[in-house]
Amino acid sequence: MRVVCAVDAAGRRAGLFVGQKATDAAALCPGLVTAEAEPEADAAALVELADWCVRFSPAVALDPPDGLFLDVTGVAHLWGSEAELAEDLRARLARNGLPFRIAIADTAAAAWAVAHQGAETIGVVPPGEAAAALARLRPSALRLSPDAAAQIERLGLRRLDQVLALPRAPLARRFGAETLMRIDQALGRAQEALSFRRPANPWFARLAFAEPISALEDLQRVSFDVAAKLCERLEREGQGARRFDLAFHRLDGKAHPLRIGLALAARDPARIAKLFAPKLETVDPGFGIEVVTLAAEGVEPVTGRQVRLDALLDGGLEDGLAPLVDRLANRLGEDRVWRAVPVESHIPEQSARAARPLDPAPEAADWPTDIPRPLRLFRRPEPLEAVVALTPDDPPRQFEWRKRLRRVRHAEGPERIGDEWWRKEIGEVRTDAVRDYYRVEDQEGQRFWVYREGLYAPGETPRWFLHGLFG
Amino acid sequence: MSGFREGRLATLKAKIAALEAGGRADSESMPLGDPRLDGAFLNGGLPLGQWHEFAGEGLEAETAAAPAAFAALLASPLARRGEAVWILRRDDLFAPGLAGLGFPAERLIQVCARDEAEALAVAEDALATVGVSAVFAEVEAVDLTAGRRLQLACEKRGATGFVIRRRPYGGGPSKALTGSAAATRWRIAAAPSAPPPDEFGLGAPRWTAWLDRCRGGRPAAWLMEASGAYSDGEEDGTYPLRLVAELGDRELAPARPLRLAG
Repeated sequence: MRVVCAVDAAGRRAGLFVGQKATDAAALCPGLVTAEAEPEADAAALVELADWCVRFSPAVALDPPDGLFLDVTGVAHLWGSEAELAEDLRARLARNGLPFRIAIADTAAAAWAVAHQGAETIGVVPPGEAAAALARLRPSALRLSPDAAAQIERLGLRRLDQVLALPRAPLARRFGAETLMRIDQALGRAQEALSFRRPANPWFARLAFAEPISALEDLQRVSFDVAAKLCERLEREGQGARRFDLAFHRLDGKAHPLRIGLALAARDPARIAKLFAPKLETVDPGFGIEVVTLAAEGVEPVTGRQVRLDALLDGGLEDGLAPLVDRLANRLGEDRVWRAVPVESHIPEQSARAARPLDPAPEAADWPTDIPRPLRLFRRPEPLEAVVALTPDDPPRQFEWRKRLRRVRHAEGPERIGDEWWRKEIGEVRTDAVRDYYRVEDQEGQRFWVYREGLYAPGETPRWFLHGLFG
Repeated sequence: MSGFREGRLATLKAKIAALEAGGRADSESMPLGDPRLDGAFLNGGLPLGQWHEFAGEGLEAETAAAPAAFAALLASPLARRGEAVWILRRDDLFAPGLAGLGFPAERLIQVCARDEAEALAVAEDALATVGVSAVFAEVEAVDLTAGRRLQLACEKRGATGFVIRRRPYGGGPSKALTGSAAATRWRIAAAPSAPPPDEFGLGAPRWTAWLDRCRGGRPAAWLMEASGAYSDGEEDGTYPLRLVAELGDRELAPARPLRLAG
């Protein structure tokens, strides 16, 4: 059965409603124009809208199919007042041709109720007046389950103040605990968990411009200004951050995000602006940029750290190791700058792991230095040709690698490296997955790390690989 | 008379060294622990605050394992003193292997550059950073301009550069060098080790090191051995490289095939 999913204002006037059978609707309005519902496209558009709304608040939660929650706590003063914020949002939505209803209230549930059933398109409920604002709405404004809402209305409770006046215990018994929970959420007696697209970030700064900007120098200047604004707060509270997200919001509603990471948490606006500077060239200002926002992530106390660095280095922090790592990581990419740290594993490929360069050393013990390991380890071991070994367990006497025959003068081994059975289920452990490693030296003195794969099996030619070079 | 001449010569040498060090007369150096080694250098040791070039031959031009191992050992006292940065084009440097040689690998910062120019730029940046004492750069070739830039970066903070020449895999023949601003230029090849006669296995790693060019010093060729490699104990105070033998002049500058020379 095909049903109506959404109706515009004209359709509503003609008597159409959501949930109506499509055939009924067509009978009611012979010239009805319909389009297939595209829930996926709607959801994608909602996500896009949510990202756009980040200009108003960093905490935006989706309320599918057609709603968004914005946590504007502590944000409204940037516009002057909540009403002005709502007005700005209205103007922008209207300019983009989006139908909307907006409400601001103490709780998400109350805002939802006013937005969906309030008399005005924009409803701003002053603090502490949620109950009064809800009083004249219908019970379904509380996002009750359809059954509970229908039952409440069947009992003649058509307004919320009637429901709120009821004793709690019978209310819960009759309409379910969910009803009680919704009421509590609307009145702020219970918390409502919203899953924000991005977790609410208290480390957020925003600059709005009277005139849109687009020149590169202006971008540079404002990236410093907004960093200074945020860093002042970080400094006051003895914090620093490891990541900064700078976003330029363009006139046409698109945002251009930039991100930098720091090896050590810091709060020096000049340094942050300097790291952003080379990335500013990629920003396409379009018709102009009217808002710039900066959010700090990975905020942690920094006082201890910087004392240590100062003691370590004789120069200013500007030229020290941390800024070097930052410059490199932001220019080349974070995965291209690392420090190898030990991992307690016998498998050579896994005995070292790339860690962020300035993180504290991990718990694992250092690499054993008495077992020779090659200086160059090939990511993919290279197969050896023409290997001659006297007996299956002997090191090779000669082998060919890269088209050259090597005669082995000295050899050391085998060092058998097998599955790490203690890391796996006992059923998955393979006893035949072993490598016998030999350190061999050829006639010229080159030292190789070769291994034979698997256990000896009669009639099978053993396979040999070169895994690394000692140099 | 000869005493007077030698005195004049020493003064002149010092003057030239001062000129070459960009006006700083106090060019530091790091002794290698053997008068036969240190005598080849101007100030009785490997000059610091400058950059040195290491190259391999044959297949080693691509894998650069021996030059890297030699340079790491040579620089390990420096790396202990400050921070060390290793710039790669291929990330096949295996830190446990470096640690086995006695290099403080757990503090080494590795950087993987995308191309030659980037590797050189990163090297320059790292050399000019406070707290960094040794910078290793695996690059194909350093031309005169890049070499001067490296030298200026070295002089800024007194860091020492170790350029390990390495051809990218599958690349063409290595670029010819058109002069170089390096303080010293080395060719390194692995040499057969000498295990004790009645013992099984390999001896301590050895290298033949040709010091082809040494500003203010004289070229030399040495057979050297790692003194603390793959041992359990901490080698303290000893020098990481031990001179086994001085090689005769005939091993200097091996004859190159004529067709390459043309």
